[in-house]
Amino acid sequence: MDPYALVRDTIYRSTLLLDRQDWTGWLAECDDAFQYAIRAWSPEINKDMTYLWLDRNGLVNLVKLLPKHNTDHSPLTRHTSVYTIDVDENGQNAKAVSSVIVYQNMLDGINSHIDAGESRLFLVGKYNDTFKIEDDRARFLSRELRIENRRLDKGSHWPI
Amino acid sequence: MAAKNHRQWTAEPKLQPSEWVDSRVYSDVEIFEEEQEKIFKRTWIPVCHESELPNAYDFRTTSIAREPIIMCRGPDNEVRAFLNVCPHRGMIIERRPAGSFLEGQPSGNPKRMTCMFHAWQYDMRGNCVYISREKEGFQDRLCKEEVGLRRLRCEVKFGGFVWVNLDDNPQVSLEDWAGPAFACLRKSLEAEPLEVFHYHKAIVNSNYKLWHDTNCEFYHDFMHYHNRVTGFNDAYFARKNEAFEHGHVVVGTFEVNYEKYEGFESRAALSFPHLPPNQWYMIDLFPGMNFNLRGSALRCDIVTPLAPDKVMIEFRGLGLKSDTAQDRQTRVNHHNSIWGPFGRNLHEDLLGVQGQGTTMLPGSEPRRILHGRHENQTIHDENGMRHYYAEWGRWMNRRPSRPEEPFSEAVSVAAE
Repeated sequence: MDPYALVRDTIYRSTLLLDRQDWTGWLAECDDAFQYAIRAWSPEINKDMTYLWLDRNGLVNLVKLLPKHNTDHSPLTRHTSVYTIDVDENGQNAKAVSSVIVYQNMLDGINSHIDAGESRLFLVGKYNDTFKIEDDRARFLSRELRIENRRLDKGSHWPI
Repeated sequence: MAAKNHRQWTAEPKLQPSEWVDSRVYSDVEIFEEEQEKIFKRTWIPVCHESELPNAYDFRTTSIAREPIIMCRGPDNEVRAFLNVCPHRGMIIERRPAGSFLEGQPSGNPKRMTCMFHAWQYDMRGNCVYISREKEGFQDRLCKEEVGLRRLRCEVKFGGFVWVNLDDNPQVSLEDWAGPAFACLRKSLEAEPLEVFHYHKAIVNSNYKLWHDTNCEFYHDFMHYHNRVTGFNDAYFARKNEAFEHGHVVVGTFEVNYEKYEGFESRAALSFPHLPPNQWYMIDLFPGMNFNLRGSALRCDIVTPLAPDKVMIEFRGLGLKSDTAQDRQTRVNHHNSIWGPFGRNLHEDLLGVQGQGTTMLPGSEPRRILHGRHENQTIHDENGMRHYYAEWGRWMNRRPSRPEEPFSEAVSVAAE
């Protein structure tokens, strides 16, 4: 199969899985060596920051414990556009850069009587992904979500 | 008693008046405006950390009580603070959050603060050093020596934080104001230089004091799964809330069992200097600043009240300047796994304070907010909030339980 199509389909499929909060389904798209990070540059402190860093086991623990936590259940909807895909010469690894915009569809975060049903911009950024390609499948080796936001208000418990 | 009618619901509780506050202290517009004048314009506020302006000519901007402020490091390495206001026509001088004046600007020269509007320029001591077409416009009626910036009280203290006071004649020195509260951590924070590694902010629809209340009481640990599994033991329930002069509170330490939260690890290997393994101290400063050291990472919250029902909270994380890259990354993970915008606890805290804000909007029916738990001044005692509101009452000359009445020392401290 076309490795470019494999990578593109994996990114878009993972977007749908994350939107559905199908964390197990999303992790099934990730290699055992998968690493996940949310990062941002701060002009305030003149530093690159890592807001969240987890390996695959860390993510498994994080999603397993989600039901134990009080959380904002307002669903997040991602709009992802794949900008570039680069496949290495042997066709076994790839890098992709995608734009992502995340909307928060208000439910219970503030006052549901007033806010529920409204969609608000939650964050903007880019996915910098790497992939392993084998057996006609592209699996995430890493995902760096690089966001433009430093104002995140209540934040989120969920992988983005 | 079952659910109450209006008279019962609004009746004063069978507690001492110091054990509750009237919710109007969180929602009344007049009280909010008064707080800006009586408290925020007269007290010491930590505005940033010195590591945010490490080099000569670095600057950082902020605001206190709606006044825009600029801090800059001079060629003599001193950090100074000024109103970020041009004395000519009131333009904000520096619009960026941070940067370096070593770079020239479209309207001005390097090593100068330049107002872009009419190109007036100031040095790092706040002296006006250039007025465009000075003689042509002002002849001998006004000269640059007469139009320096408004300087502000500024000190670097308690682990390298930059403190500003809008009052030229503060009631107490910064040392006397916060030194005793910082005593428990001073050795750890001042053993070697610290460095900020994390910054983010939240604007939530809630009163700033509700955020500080959350930081002052640990009874809300029932909201945090992480804190319950890593904390709830005899040593946790023995932690003391110690009140200090000027409305400050320090929450004493105990050893946190981080491994009890799946996927988390001990922080013992990266403890701050002079701090035993996995200890957790918290310093809450009146009127709304928090310093929170969980073993390997220091968090600092600074509130900027924007309206009775709106507050900006800036969150900083700090480690040791001497950290290796690997140690720094571990500290960052320790900090952000709990306190980052995607961490386990901060999201819950912000949901809590936002939920309170939702019920205490300007014009909402006044109700009693209880601060009446007594547990020998340990972790779930609400003495921290009672101590805070006694101080608030003194500054405001209002009784927290009846804010339309003047403050009474006897009424406000009776429960203690």
